[in-house]
Parts: sequence; C-alpha cells; structure tokens
Amino acid sequence: MNARHVICGTALLLAGLLVPVAAVLGADEPRRNFVSCPIVRDTASVPCWLAEYNGQLYFLTIQSDVTSPVTPPWLGHRVLVEGTVSAESPICGGIVLKPVHLSVIPEPDASCNTMLPAEERYNLTFEPPRPPGPSKGRLAFDNAPPPDKKSPAVLPSTRDFLVPYDFDALVGFNHARVLTDMLEFARAVNARDVEIVGYRAAARLSNGQVMLEESDIGKRRAEQLAMLLQGANLKSPAYKVTWRDESARASGIDDYAIRRAVVTVHAGEAGR
Amino acid sequence: MIKSHSTLLALSLSAAFVAAASLSTKSTASWWSPGQGTPLPEFATYDNEQGQLGVLNTSGQLDTKGHPFFEAIGTNGRACVTCHQPSDAMSLSVRTIRERWTATGGKDPLFAAVDGMNCPSLPPGDPRSHSQLLDRGLFRVALPWPPLRADGTRIDPEFTIEVVRDPGGCNMDPRYGLNSATPTISVYRRPRPVANTKYTTHQNFGVGPFIGKNGMPSATDPETGKPTSMNLMSDARAATLAVQAQDAASTHLQLAGTLSAAQTARITAFERQVYIAQVARRDAGSLVEPDGPPAFGPRNLAADDAGVLGNNTTRYVFPLAGKWTHLPRTGDETENARSASRESIARGHDVFMFRTFWIRDSMHLNSVGLGNPVKRTCATCHGMHMTGMDTANGWMDIGTTNLPWATEVPLNPWTEARPQMPLFRVTCKPGVRPHPFLGRVIYTQDPGRGLISGLCNDVGTIVMEQFRGLAARAPYFSNGSAATLRELADFYDRRYNIGYSEQEKQDLVNFLGAL
Repeated sequence: MNARHVICGTALLLAGLLVPVAAVLGADEPRRNFVSCPIVRDTASVPCWLAEYNGQLYFLTIQSDVTSPVTPPWLGHRVLVEGTVSAESPICGGIVLKPVHLSVIPEPDASCNTMLPAEERYNLTFEPPRPPGPSKGRLAFDNAPPPDKKSPAVLPSTRDFLVPYDFDALVGFNHARVLTDMLEFARAVNARDVEIVGYRAAARLSNGQVMLEESDIGKRRAEQLAMLLQGANLKSPAYKVTWRDESARASGIDDYAIRRAVVTVHAGEAGR
Repeated sequence: MIKSHSTLLALSLSAAFVAAASLSTKSTASWWSPGQGTPLPEFATYDNEQGQLGVLNTSGQLDTKGHPFFEAIGTNGRACVTCHQPSDAMSLSVRTIRERWTATGGKDPLFAAVDGMNCPSLPPGDPRSHSQLLDRGLFRVALPWPPLRADGTRIDPEFTIEVVRDPGGCNMDPRYGLNSATPTISVYRRPRPVANTKYTTHQNFGVGPFIGKNGMPSATDPETGKPTSMNLMSDARAATLAVQAQDAASTHLQLAGTLSAAQTARITAFERQVYIAQVARRDAGSLVEPDGPPAFGPRNLAADDAGVLGNNTTRYVFPLAGKWTHLPRTGDETENARSASRESIARGHDVFMFRTFWIRDSMHLNSVGLGNPVKRTCATCHGMHMTGMDTANGWMDIGTTNLPWATEVPLNPWTEARPQMPLFRVTCKPGVRPHPFLGRVIYTQDPGRGLISGLCNDVGTIVMEQFRGLAARAPYFSNGSAATLRELADFYDRRYNIGYSEQEKQDLVNFLGAL
C-alpha cells in the first residue's frame, strides 16, 4: 500500500497531501459522502451492496449488468460513496442512497471482505431488472432504441463530448461507447481539430475531509484520450491537449461531476 | 528408494504411451500427414473416447492435394494440418501426440525443435526435451519482450518481468531467452481448433473500435480497417485469420519468406467453411437426430448465427429446446441407459446455464461493471450463442496461469516431482496502478495477453476458447492443466468455491463432452 490512501487516525492522506478538515456537513444534510468497505449481502435473487458509515448501514445498489447506471463496488477495495439519502424504504436492511455515485479505490484493501448470507427478512421486495443468471432476453437498463445509423442531413461543425470518471480513474470498461461516439463523429465531419481538456477534482466528505485526486490525473486523462483516439487511427486532426485543476471546487455536492474530461471535435472543411 | 526425476519422467511417459496404445479406439489412419493428398469429404466422422466427432465442409469435398493448409509449405516438414487434425477437432490431443511419438520414434515433423521441444537448444529425440508437448500437448510460443505493436514499434510495458523458474531452460537460454540478443519469453500453449471460425471472427455483438473491457482501441483488420473481436488466439495477438496464417507459417512451419496472397486466400477460405462438433456419444447415442436438440453437431453450427449473446432465455448459449429433459423409460435396458445419459446431458446444460456461484477476483469480468464478487453462472462469461466463447474481446484471468490458482506441483520432502511450467514474477512499475486483485507483484506461468499489450491488468488473462469438439482434443485450458473434462470442472469448483455435487459435476462433464 502506498502513502496515498493510508488512513492515519481520523485524517486521510491522499495524493501525498494531508488535507485540512473543513466544516462537517449538518446532521440533517441528506448527502452522504464517505469512504468505507463495501459489503455484499446475498438474497434469494440478486445480491445487494451495502456500506456502513457512522454506525448506519446504507444501501448502494443491487447486482445487475453492465448497462446499470450504478455498478457495484469490489470486495478487496474500499469504495468512495457520494450519495443522497432517499425517502425509499430500506433495501436489504440499508438506508437507500439515491442517487449515488460509487468509485472503487484503486489500492487493494484485503480488510474489505464482508459477505453476508441471504436472510428472508432482507429479500428484495421488487423484481430486479436482471436475474442472477441468464437474462430474459434484454439488457437491464439499455432500453433505448439502437442509434440511427443514418447521418443527419447537416452535422454540427463542433461537438463537445463529456467523459465522466470515477475518482482517480482513467478510461475503463464504461467508456467504450463515448469514445466510439467521438470517433464516429470525428470521421463523419473529417475533423480538423480535437481539443481535449482533462480535469482534476476532489471529493468533500461528509466528515469535512477533502479527498484530492492524484495531482497529475487531469493531464493523464487528457493525454490518454488523445492516445486512444490516435490509436483508433484518428490521426489526421490536430490535437490540443490541456488540463486543469478544479479540486478547489469540491463542496460535497455533486463533486463527481467535476471528475471529467471534455473533448471538442471541430469539423474540417470537407465535413461542413 | 526414489528414482531420479528424469528416470521417473521417462518411465511415466513410456507408461502413458503403452496405455494410450492399448486403449486406443481409433485407427492410426486418422492421422493426416502433410501432402498425403487424400480428399477431405464434405462430411467426415472420427471416433474418439467419448463417441464420434463430425467434420463438415460446407463448400463440399475438399481436394487437399496442393492445398497450402495440407501441404508442407515450410522448411520443417509440417503443414497447418499437422497441429490442426480433423480427427482432433482441428486441434491436437495429447493422446494423438503420444501416438505419433510412438509411431515415428519422435521423428515426425510435429516434434520440430522450433516449438515441439521445450527449447530448441535441448537434445532432440529425447522425450525429456519434448516433455511439454508429450505430457500436456503444449507448443512453445516465443514472444518478443518488450512487446511490439502491429506496426513493429516497441511498447513500453507497464511491468517488468523476471524468470523465477525455467524447467524447459528456454527463458534463461543465452540464445533463446530473456537475456539473449533478441529478448524473448517462451510460454507453452495448446493449439486452438481451426474451425467454426465465423464465431471466432464475428463482427456482431460487442465488437467495436474500442474494447468493451478497458476502453483501449481494438485490433483492426489490416485489409478492411474494421475492428475485430480479437477472439482468435489465446493472447489475441493475431486479429484475423490471414494474420494468424502468416504468423503460424513463419513460426510453426518455419516458412522462408511469407505466404503468397493466393496461399493465404486458400487457407482462410478453408478455415471459414469447416465446422466441427461432437455428433455421437457412446452412452447417449446420436446427438444429431432430426428431432434432437439444435445445439449439437456441426450442421447446426454452420446454420446458426454468429456473435449472438446467448446468456439469456431467448436464444440460449447452447439451445436444447427442451429436449431430453424427461425421457420415457421402456422395457429396453439399452434404450433406458441412453435416455438416462441424455437426461444427464440436459441436466449438465442446466448446471452450465443456471447454477449460480460467486465469481470473484477475475480480471475483465469482475472489473467490467458487475461488481466483485458477482453471483452468476458459467454462461455469464461463456455467453456466445453456440460456442460458449465471449462475444466481446474475450480475455479474462480465471486463474489458470496466475498464482495462487494455477495448478502447481505440490513440493514436499516425499516426492521428487518438480514443476514443469515456467514461472514468472511480474512487477507493475511505480506510477502504474497495481493489479486490482493480485496487487503489484504477480506470479504467473504465462502472462497471456499481458505479453502482447504490456498492461498490468492483462497479466495472466487468456482469451476463452470455444466449447466445441472437446471430447476430441484433451487436455484443456491454454496450458493443458486439465487433463480431462472432470479436471476442468474440478478446477472451477476449487477456484470459485462452487460446491458442485458429484451429480452436478458428472452432468456438466457429460454436457461438455457432447458439444
């Protein structure tokens, strides 16, 4: 384990920096931002994922499939939870956080290893979108009609693509679609320029501590996107790659939205 | 008194040959020699221990005389067919390998030094020099380190690699090893079936310009520029049949120069139209009766759709169409035994499709949005309709080559058995994220896809293979670590703490053997 994610007393050391403790959010504040070990509880159908914070058990999500907007965390790793307490009835014994954003902390943590057996009282009261085995012939959340392959009559001359990230993360399994969208648009408009801005963010926790992303993560995000597009043979446009540090914006409210890159594709002459 | 390891090895090999010869159910005529010129019929069957394999040429009978797949076009006397035998599901079983050793005294081109020996520097003709091939059916695959891109430029890998154990001697060999003038890593792998290739090269579900498991660019077809499924080889290093043919010709056949365009076209045309699958089992009888389950036999494979996600209850991975679940009993004991065997196959299908267990710490499965662990079934990963491959780019680490799960020889004071597989220590470089499930340092018998991509997360990941013709081509897994389908089932049971019952294991084995 490196120094970045060491819990030291109640202080969190991240990116080599001890971040000062700010004011703790009020007790009636519905947001819950914390780092904890995830817990998986079996049920008679799909497992549910929970996490404990300040003596309360919170429900994060159920197991689904790759189309789920919230993908479950990993045992063997802590998870950054950024959620809002919902008025829904508890699920699997946990207070429901919805919406919720989960980021697996990259550094392994073998202490995160709690698997709870199924108990009748915690069985789901609804049918999950995806059973634990084979599906019923459709993906759990991908109900949108397939994209229209016909190009619109006039494509915009410039288009922005937002690339969201988990905390401290680079491109992963869930980025293939937005990368494909970028690539197809750039090819369709014979792109002249591709501007990429990678951002570094932070997450303000409910206890007031601030978790900073790695100092160079914005640069790495931007450079990786350029490398991936070029690797997919999009080599003719000029690439402008920059990065910004927006970690100071962390407020504890929707901090996940700061973790991003923005790719702007400008059409070439032949593509207009 | 304990005999020396080398003596024991020689004795065990000899015993294996005797056993193989005495138990043999197929004639040696099933061996296809390079240049023999025999036509390959439109439909041929070959006996194996579990029943019979069918080989279908959808283009009709093939004249093999002068055909580059069947002729020794290289310099070592081999042809493609040497390691992709029709009788062995267009792969090669260790049983056949041992038979060839016995029949030819080790002189068959199959045992060529380049990859039919543990290392070309070893003395030829000695079974100990060929132990990977004779014991596990493994050929040496020599890969450059650091890896090279398709355009020949060098990749800066995310990890360093050290040789911890080198029983074959090739990784430390001054001419062929990691510290040679051309640094090379030798791993040992099974030949994959060259058949049913519309499934291994499909352009359907899950194939796009970026890999759905990590967002990296997909390998593209150099002729069309289109992304590929990258499911052909165990490390996905060859994107298309044509690229694979060129690579195999220059390495395995030691072809001087390159295949001509005409040769490549004939080889790939043959590979695109040949289908294999088991067609009969000794216990269950014919698998391809007109009203039988549509999952079985090469004709059903040839007729069905490629690249379709079958992990659902609408298309199914292997559709049995409700056949064989409950069969009536009669007064005929033979008939009843056959019905019982067919019901076992149907139950085995249900174990494959519906028996949940916790899948944990498997790279490129648990890391792709399902969570770790995920409660799913065999069909979650083995989801492609009709083949049980991954529809998307299919490399994963289930522990067949990475420790602690890879099969290792137990070392203790009471045995002289020693490991046969090499062992590498992989260390993810500073600044690179550690492997999420194995940490910064990984011990592996074969880094798999990691040797091609240079990525830490790819270490020990292997492209899953189609489930067809299994009865004809033991042993299993890329490193041949499961000698039988039962050992394969046992591996999964151990790896994922499944807790299969004895009945479930037997049913699963019977089902897999029917494919």
